[in-house]
Amino acid sequence: MSLLSILRHQRANWLGLLGGTLLVLLLVLAVAGPWLGLPDPTRGDLRARMLAPTISWTGLGSHPLGTDQLGRDILSRIIAGSRVTLTIAGSAVVLGGIVGVLLGLIAGYFGGWWDRILMRLVDIQLAFPLMLLALLVVAALGPSLHNLIAVLALTSWVRYARIIRGQVLTVREREFVQAVKAMGAGPVRILIRHVLPNVLTPALVVATLELARTIVLEAGLSFLGLGIQPPSPSWGRMLADGRTYIASAWWIITLPGLALMLTVLSVNLLGDWLRDWLDPRSERS
Amino acid sequence: MRNQASAHRLAAALSFGLSSLALSAPATARDLTIALSSNVNTLDPFKSTTVGTDLSVAAHIYTPLVDRGPDLKLRPGLATKWEAVGDNAWRFTLREGVTFSNGEKLDAEAVKWNVERVLDPKTAARNKPWFAAITEVKVVSPTVVEFLSKGAYPDLPDQMSMFLLMPPKWTAENNPAVTAVGSGPYELVRFTSGDRVELKARKGYWDEKPAFDNVTFRILPEDSSRIAALTAGDVDLITGFPTSEIKQIKAGGKVEAGSVAGTRGMFIKLNGLRAPFKDQPKLWRALNLAIDRKAINEGLLDGLAEVSACQPLSSVYFGFNPDLKPAAYDPAQAKKLLAEAGFASGLTMELEVPTGRYIQASDIAQVVASQLGEVGVKVNLREMEFGSFMNKYIVGKNLGDSAYFGLGWPTLDAGGLLNFWETENPQSYWGSESFTQGAKAARSTNDAAKRTELYRKLTKQLCEDSPSLFMFFTPITYAQSKSIAWQARGDDWVRAIDIKTR
Repeated sequence: MSLLSILRHQRANWLGLLGGTLLVLLLVLAVAGPWLGLPDPTRGDLRARMLAPTISWTGLGSHPLGTDQLGRDILSRIIAGSRVTLTIAGSAVVLGGIVGVLLGLIAGYFGGWWDRILMRLVDIQLAFPLMLLALLVVAALGPSLHNLIAVLALTSWVRYARIIRGQVLTVREREFVQAVKAMGAGPVRILIRHVLPNVLTPALVVATLELARTIVLEAGLSFLGLGIQPPSPSWGRMLADGRTYIASAWWIITLPGLALMLTVLSVNLLGDWLRDWLDPRSERS
Repeated sequence: MRNQASAHRLAAALSFGLSSLALSAPATARDLTIALSSNVNTLDPFKSTTVGTDLSVAAHIYTPLVDRGPDLKLRPGLATKWEAVGDNAWRFTLREGVTFSNGEKLDAEAVKWNVERVLDPKTAARNKPWFAAITEVKVVSPTVVEFLSKGAYPDLPDQMSMFLLMPPKWTAENNPAVTAVGSGPYELVRFTSGDRVELKARKGYWDEKPAFDNVTFRILPEDSSRIAALTAGDVDLITGFPTSEIKQIKAGGKVEAGSVAGTRGMFIKLNGLRAPFKDQPKLWRALNLAIDRKAINEGLLDGLAEVSACQPLSSVYFGFNPDLKPAAYDPAQAKKLLAEAGFASGLTMELEVPTGRYIQASDIAQVVASQLGEVGVKVNLREMEFGSFMNKYIVGKNLGDSAYFGLGWPTLDAGGLLNFWETENPQSYWGSESFTQGAKAARSTNDAAKRTELYRKLTKQLCEDSPSLFMFFTPITYAQSKSIAWQARGDDWVRAIDIKTR
């Protein structure tokens, strides 16, 4: 192993660790949010609107990250928003993953018409702008938590399906699969017991990348007013509310924007590292 | 302070970094650029009822018979005088020798042709309802024209201030949606929908020469972009941003900012045609008492709004009832009434909020929701884009439990505004026969004293029955460069002819 590749691996580890740490921190905050003793994120005090952040070296102050245009505490809104964002994005990724993996297995294993129909569906959806698809569906169904999860899952299953199908195509020709087949095992048993465990790793990598993309998409929909309805906080919604006040109260839009950026960045770093780590062709340091 | 200034520069750089590099030529005193917050969809004045954008732009090219000045009073336009002839007719005397810029004559015949075009179903005019009561236009002489109506039409002269006259021959041969030729102070140079409208002063205009040679309207939907464009000197006048920004804009010292009392009344429309609000006057009254309008005005609108005196009219409207006072804020009484109405254990209702149209609508709705929450009414907010809300509200006739909505009537007459609560109106959602009869009676006479008396009764009924919870008249905010002076007005018109150089 050359010195260069060791360095590269070290760096990858480093960044992956950073991403993982940030994400764990965010998860802890999101879960522990209601017990942190912060002000109610949905209740404002009109006399305390648009207060600048009070955080400094000497202490946190009453509103560490300031208040928004309705006098609500921005720190507690960012934390409450992370619960909403992570719930929606997480559920959508899991739901989309289950559907995508299942259809990918079917397409790859059975081939033929199944494969042709499913893969053309994938092609069509990949050619369709995701934001437009999401907008259309939310506009038709109306914005709600469940609809949002369903829409985001709908936009994310295709990537799983495509990658899993590719994996299945190689796995199904391997000797152990052929052997089980020769012993008379049914397709369900083969797929679940023998093929699935061998294709889950790439699905995991796709899942991390999808998570980052879904978080951004959810923020976009919320920004457009098609996400979760107020007063429930969501990051995209906070960006939309704050953009009018960017000149007089920069913190309303900037801080949720930073939170969004850090989250997506850490998920991506983690995903990159995971991909390197799980790739059998790359050597582990 | 330093923070704010740098944030402002950041905003300016973000929004206009590129465009200001390209267009940094300094504007001379005779050029004027006005920013609009939404798109100009058509130049055809018959195909739009949106005063703030389409009609404001069209009013530079076309002129009405009667003009409404910045003081919101009528003054002569193409007509020099007008008078009622009995209860069923109005006679207008036109200026002599006025022509459109293509040479066509603007005489009584042209006026008659315009009315016929509006009323012709083939035109599909959007402003047809404003003039539908006109049954006949009589050309008495080339400069005298009479409008005959079925019943009385007391606010016809007011309505005529919205009627922009088009040249008959030219209109028949061209597409007036994208091009324009009129009798006004400006001519069209270029119209790019979604971007800008460019106008230049017309030679040989029949009235006072306008103060600017070139006028450009630019479409800048984002509040922060408009503010940044003004501070950067790209535009001269902006309107319709949150009141909280006034202080910030003034602080830069380069531009001026302020606000005037608006004429659009905001209210919460309750759907009186279905549960839970159908036949529940006590519930309506309870909600009316549970909203702290003063706190919203002071907290969110810097105290610049005018709290509604328990009626849809503000004091500048004909028919305003000075005896009515704003609804009191009395949560204890509200709780009591709620219990009496059978909702002691609480009530869950939805509040629809159209977005992108009314100033700070989402913020105001959230505060209303939390105030109602304090008396035990759980409000679920449903935000939707303005167009889809209107579709649901008027075309679909499917209003939710309630909606945050605003109405102003450009003629500033009670007749036009109170019509929205009459049972036949698709926006009514209130089945009050007595109100409808009263409103019809008030519309059937041109006698101002009799109308005043009838409208006082009707506004009183609206206040006591509270089918809608009247909130406030939102202010019109504006900011301008120091080289111009806009005569700020409380209706939606934004016109270069109301602007002088300094």
